[in-house]
Amino acid sequence: MTAAPEAVKSSAAIFRAKLQAAMMLVVAALTISGLYLAQRKAGADAERNLQRDFQAELTSLHVAEEARSAALAERCRALVEKPRIHAALEDNALDLLYPSAADELRDLMEPEKESEGEEQSHALHARFYRFLNNAGDVLSPPNQNEVGILRPEEESQLALKPLPDKEQTGYLLHEAGAGEERVDEVVAVPINSTETNELIAALVVGFKPVEITEKRAGNEIKSGIWLNGWLHLPALREPAREAIDRELTRILAAPNSAERSYRVQINGAPQLLFYKRLNPASVFPPAYEVCIFPLDKSLALQRRLRWQILGAGVVLLIAGLTASYLISLRLSVPVAKLVVDSEENRAGRKRVEAVLATTNEELKRSARFSADASHQLKTPVTILRAGLEELLGRENFPEEVYDELSSLLHQTYRLTGVIDDLLLLSRMDAGRLQIEFNPVDLTQLIEEWLADLNALPDAAEVEMKAHLPQDLYIAGEKRYISIIVQNLLENARKYNRPGGRVHVTARAERGYVVLTVGNTGRPIPFAMQENIFERFYRGSIGENVPGHGLGLNLARELARLHGGDLHLVCSNEKWTEFEVRFRISEQPEIDPVAAT
Amino acid sequence: MNTRCCFFLGSVLILSVAPVFADAVVEGRVELPKSHSAPVENKRYEIVTKGGVLATNPPLAVVYLEGAFSKEVARPTRQVAQKDLAFAPALLPVQVGTKVEFPNLDDTYHNIFSYSPAKRFDLGRYRPDEKPVPFQIFDVAGLVTLRCDIHEHMRGLILVLDTPHFAITDPDGHFRLTGLPPGNFILKAWVDSRTTRERPVELTNGSTAHVNFP
Repeated sequence: MTAAPEAVKSSAAIFRAKLQAAMMLVVAALTISGLYLAQRKAGADAERNLQRDFQAELTSLHVAEEARSAALAERCRALVEKPRIHAALEDNALDLLYPSAADELRDLMEPEKESEGEEQSHALHARFYRFLNNAGDVLSPPNQNEVGILRPEEESQLALKPLPDKEQTGYLLHEAGAGEERVDEVVAVPINSTETNELIAALVVGFKPVEITEKRAGNEIKSGIWLNGWLHLPALREPAREAIDRELTRILAAPNSAERSYRVQINGAPQLLFYKRLNPASVFPPAYEVCIFPLDKSLALQRRLRWQILGAGVVLLIAGLTASYLISLRLSVPVAKLVVDSEENRAGRKRVEAVLATTNEELKRSARFSADASHQLKTPVTILRAGLEELLGRENFPEEVYDELSSLLHQTYRLTGVIDDLLLLSRMDAGRLQIEFNPVDLTQLIEEWLADLNALPDAAEVEMKAHLPQDLYIAGEKRYISIIVQNLLENARKYNRPGGRVHVTARAERGYVVLTVGNTGRPIPFAMQENIFERFYRGSIGENVPGHGLGLNLARELARLHGGDLHLVCSNEKWTEFEVRFRISEQPEIDPVAAT
Repeated sequence: MNTRCCFFLGSVLILSVAPVFADAVVEGRVELPKSHSAPVENKRYEIVTKGGVLATNPPLAVVYLEGAFSKEVARPTRQVAQKDLAFAPALLPVQVGTKVEFPNLDDTYHNIFSYSPAKRFDLGRYRPDEKPVPFQIFDVAGLVTLRCDIHEHMRGLILVLDTPHFAITDPDGHFRLTGLPPGNFILKAWVDSRTTRERPVELTNGSTAHVNFP
């Protein structure tokens, strides 16, 4: 007995520990998945923001560049409309071409010496220009100083064969002295004869390209131009430039590579590299704008964000674990109580079950005994009755012998009644009595019994009256209900005083039919009222009344089997009344009972 | 109207004088390219280019006699005016050594220049009332394309010929050259900047030769 509370306690503790573990697991899983998602989202957001900023920056630059290119082209178009240039080309005066152009294009060319501050306003100034003849070859200028100095191999790169009929944009990489290299944007404008509208020449003008890294505050984009397998990106030091150059050469060899951005490593630092074809659909060699954006800052930002998220997650986790610990403690208190209670319940139930099993066994044995006894008794009684009846049939006995025999025969009938009752009870006790529910006309049944009883010889002594509504139907099996009614009416008559009254009433009441049988018999003492429904119990009042002490017990058992009950309502000097309840039934359409 | 009238009066004058001087005369017709625009009196002639060829519209031809002429002929000063942003006349045949003035009859500046091999010149910008009137002496035979540096569409032609004997046809292509010396010559008809037709012709005093350029 001392071990049981310990076991109960330990099982409660195990439950608590399990609850804690489960809650912590859930909290940890939620926190970790939340952290993972948050970090992933933060990373994706950062990446997207970076790309967006970068693209926005590039787009604004490209818009500016396109506007400038359009302005340049417009300027060149205006120049080639000049009558002197046309005259020189059309009137076979090529020797006058460059001298005429020198006048016409004077304000196009970059001034030789210019103050630094005005650099911006000269973005539309040319660095050089050349004419191409109708075969697309460069017409050599007589004086390079007037048209911008180019080395012969650079000049030859300006040739366009065949001469294009649309404007072309290209790029020219050339030496700017002192080992420096420079990339110029080249615009080629076709010249059509005003007389024949034939393509007769082209003007090629070199401009300084837009610098993407033009001193923008906070802008870390490095930009350059990739041309003819050479990356011009002065902001990048040599080994890195060459590495990017190789990378680009490899990528650009693939077709459909007009525009793309991807990540590269330069000197171990991650960078976002973007390239875009500057002169799509141009007959000049393809040139690509190349921009490099260092990612280290953004990556550092992401790393910091990750640590912050992680820190927040740890705090969250600790808080969650603590909360889950506390909650599980509180939750486990009623459970521990429940465990103790259920343990007690189980013990109690076991005891009850044991008692129940014993009782059941005893009951079964008793029922079996009753059944066996009844069967064993029936046969001798029948033989006895047959013998007595045969003796009564003889004529050579004296008169008193017949009286004696008649009395004995009566006793055999009584014995048969007891045996029948016992048999019925034993069947009920064994639970083998099945009631076949049918509508039974209670009024009719009672009236039949009253008629039978009133026909008995001693009927005159007791006045039997009934007060019954018509067609009162109850649910049950007629023969058993008949037993109940018979028992109650016979008792009322038997235990009545001479000249007494019996009054029978019946009424319907909330799904039940209540039948009361009252009589003016002697009162049942209060102390005995509890016992009158027990088997073989006969009160002191019934000592000289025929009966075997099974009637009320049988009636009550049968009433209960019918879903009703039987009990004593009152018993005093004047009046003793029993009440039996049956379940009410619908009146059948065709009453089978009424036929009998 | 005036041109035709002068032409007609001139012809009458020449016809009446011819028997006196007993010089040779050539007349005929140049088959001119078809023009889609209907011939209208007082029609403004303009220089048009088609396939790189300069010609007048409606078509006109210049017929001239080629040969060595020792006879010195007076070369009167001619004029090519700028009027309504066009050259007038659009086509002017002159003898080598002729002085041509370029008066500006518009309200705006003009800048007449030529890059043609026969004559390169540049008059620079000048106002309508510029005095003296800018001029050039054309001393090399050939076709000179006149342009304006300010008005790029303006075109004019001066056909500088090494002969005193030349005439512009009427819109139908008829021409008549008078006062010609006798002898065997080649008669040429300039139709456009690429096309010059020629026919040999034998001239005798007092007679009229008929030459058609198909």
